[in-house]
Parts: sequence; C-alpha cells; structure tokens
Amino acid sequence: MVCIELRQVTFQYERGKRIFENISIKIEKDETTALLGPNGSGKTTLGKLMVGVLRPSKGQVYIFNKDSSKMAISEIGSKIGYLFQNPEKQFFTNSVYEELSFVLRTKKYHEDYIKEKVDKILNTFQLQGLERQAPFLLSQGEKKRLALAAILINKPDYLILDEPTLGLDGRRKEILLDTLSKLKKQGIGMTIISHDDNFVKAIGDRLIGLSRGEIVYDQRT
Amino acid sequence: MTKELKLDPRTKLIIVLCFSTLGVGTNQILVLFFISVLALIVAKLFKVDLKRSLGKIKSLLKVLILIALVQSIFSPGQPLISVGNFNLLTIKGLEKGLQFILRMFIVIVSVTIMGTSTYREIIQGLVQWKLPYDIAFMVALGIRFLPMIREEIQDSLTAIQLRGIDIKNIPLKERINIYSYLFTPILVETLIKAERLAAAIEMRGFRAYDSRTSYLQLKLKSIDYLIIFLSLGLIILIFIKIYT
Repeated sequence: MVCIELRQVTFQYERGKRIFENISIKIEKDETTALLGPNGSGKTTLGKLMVGVLRPSKGQVYIFNKDSSKMAISEIGSKIGYLFQNPEKQFFTNSVYEELSFVLRTKKYHEDYIKEKVDKILNTFQLQGLERQAPFLLSQGEKKRLALAAILINKPDYLILDEPTLGLDGRRKEILLDTLSKLKKQGIGMTIISHDDNFVKAIGDRLIGLSRGEIVYDQRT
Repeated sequence: MTKELKLDPRTKLIIVLCFSTLGVGTNQILVLFFISVLALIVAKLFKVDLKRSLGKIKSLLKVLILIALVQSIFSPGQPLISVGNFNLLTIKGLEKGLQFILRMFIVIVSVTIMGTSTYREIIQGLVQWKLPYDIAFMVALGIRFLPMIREEIQDSLTAIQLRGIDIKNIPLKERINIYSYLFTPILVETLIKAERLAAAIEMRGFRAYDSRTSYLQLKLKSIDYLIIFLSLGLIILIFIKIYT
C-alpha cells in the first residue's frame, strides 16, 4: 500500500535556489525506506515535503491517497510521526512527563491511563527517573529518545525519522535499531533519513540515494 | 518604472519619525489620510514590496481590524446604525476606528521604509549620531533576534500540530492553554542562543570600547539634507495648521 506519493514535485525555498525539479516517488507503507545522501542533497527537505511541513512549489504530495495541500498539518501529524533532525525543535513543555502526556491529556484521556502509557514508554526508551527533568536539559541521546517516544505515544501509522542516530553512541544505536525493528514487526512502516549507511542498511528494505536534489539510485535490499 | 531612491539610513529614520509623530499627534482623519498616502508614495519610491510585507503580518492585521471594530461599536455618540435601543455604530465610533486603522497603517508603512536599509547601516547611522556603541550594539542584537523568535514560534506551532493537535479547531480556552506552551521553547532557545552568541563574540575578542573604527562610513548627500529639511518643514507646517 502506498502511503506517501510525490507527483512531479518541484520545490524551491523563498528567494532561494531550486532544490527539487519534477521529482516523483512512491513510498510503501509496509517497508522501511532509507533516504541516503551527502549533506545538502535535499534529504531533510524531502522529508519535510513528505510530512507537509513544507509545501511544494509545483506538483502534489499524496498522503494515504489524499492530497496533502487539502490536509491540515495536524491531520497529517495524527497519521505520520515526524522526528526532527534537531529534537529540541519538537519540545515545548517543562518536563519529560508533560512532553509524553501532552497529546493524551489534550485528547482528554483518563489520568490513570495516561500514567500507564507514559510509564510504559519511559521504560521502553530507558528514560525512567527523568520524568521531572526539563527536556531542554537532557543529553543529546536522551533528547533523541524522548522525541521518538513522544511521537510513538501518539500511535502513528507511519514514521519519518530525520537523522535518528545523530548524537547516539554505538550502544544507543543498537537499542534504537532494536526498537525500530520491533516497530517494523508491528507493521509500522518508516522512512529513515540518514547518512549513517551501516544503520540504514541494517534495517532498510529500500534504499533511495539523493544527490543535489536528484534520485541517483532506488534499490531494494 | 520608478528608479529606487537611495538615501542615508539617518534620512529614512527622520522621515519615519516625522510620519509616526504626525500619525500620533493628530486626530483629524483627513490629515491621517494625507500622511498615509504620503507614506505610501515614499514607500513606493523606496521600492518597498508592500504586498509581501503586509502578507507577513496577516494575523496582526486581523487583530488590528478587530480592535478597530470593537472601538467603533463601543463608542458613545450620535448613532449611525441602531438595533432597538442599542447603538451598534456611532459617528464617533466610526471616526475612532478609522483613526486607529490609519495610524497603524502609517506605522506599518514607516517600518517597511526602514526595512529598505540593512540593520548594519541603521546601526552605523545611530553610531554616527553619537549614540553610545553599547546601546547601538544592543539594538543590533535585538533586530537580529526578532526573526529568530518568529521562526521559533513557527517551529513550535508546527511541532504541536505534528502531534495531531488541530489548534484552529479546538475550544478557545484550550487553544489559549496550548499557546501558553510556546513560551517555554522560545525562552529556552533565545537564552541558549544568546549565551552561545555571547561566548562566540567574546572568543573573537569583542569589547564595546568607546573609540571604534568602522569600515562602513555613512555620508549625508545633498539629497539627504533636502529631504530632511522638507520632512521637518512638513511636520512643522502640519502641526501649525492643526493647532492654530
């Protein structure tokens, strides 16, 4: 099943250079797609176009067969979880617990249910004991794990992870790989934007290489 | 096609000061309208992209229109539109609303005129006006941080929406509560960036010494003197006309 489709997308930043010209990709929901490429190849821009944070100058982006230009970011966000390259960009509360419980609380879930869910995810991402800590004061690795946990507690159908291994040591990368593999088994597809070749090759089903805004290879492992 | 007028930032500052002073100093709608037209012409001469500038402050414009409407509706006076015993719109209210809109328009156009100079030029202008460098430098930093704060607000709003929260379609009370969450990232990011900037400029040996040299030196030309003279003349004339 195609979950994200880019049809002849052209994108250019305001007063900036053209990043993509007539690019078309279909992303399957059930597989793990990796976007690879050097710095400045357009990986993050493509990820932001896929999740509607950026809108194409020309062409269309379809998310679960719906034109994303007709969808609010919140509607996209309830289907697709997006991990920012800089995790600080997605924190807006004063504590780890608040960050994880924010969506559930806004959706008026019972406090006991929220606590149970938060405790479970704190455990999964090895963040126990940090509940009262301010997200901005965590270490880089903890910030990455918290950002990912805050996305997953929202139960998205698909994930787009921008440089998930950035700032993680070898051991943390292994734990992350293990967590993502479990999600994959649960049927949650994902696109991983990275230049960590070893990491994406270990989990990726499809590798898409980008260079200067063009797809230079698209292969399945 | 009109040729872009190139003026010293200090001249622009005086023009803007004159427009703003006139805008605040008078209640006469005709005078305010005249200043608005004049500000528009000046902005056109400086090749200001007004459409783009107004587009950037679309949300603020909505708030301004709302304030003008509230002012119009709740002002006492001779009624223009009444529903039963309730005066919906009065002549005084309409005047107040129009005054407010014209005043804000003058201020916004004036700011866009200043936007045609780079912040470095504006600061240099202030320094050459003998403003202490410490203060000029603080103004420069303030200007530098404004777009960053705007970006932070936008990023945080995107992050909240990406969690599946539709800010536009939730009750007002909850919406206000969610907006209150924006303060944390803005404050934290601003402090972190200020701290990093302070460390970076110290590392480069920056000190706010009294005597500083600058590669950029501004010089007032004849056209600058002429425009400063005309601007000050105009403001004096209008004030004499208003108050006599």
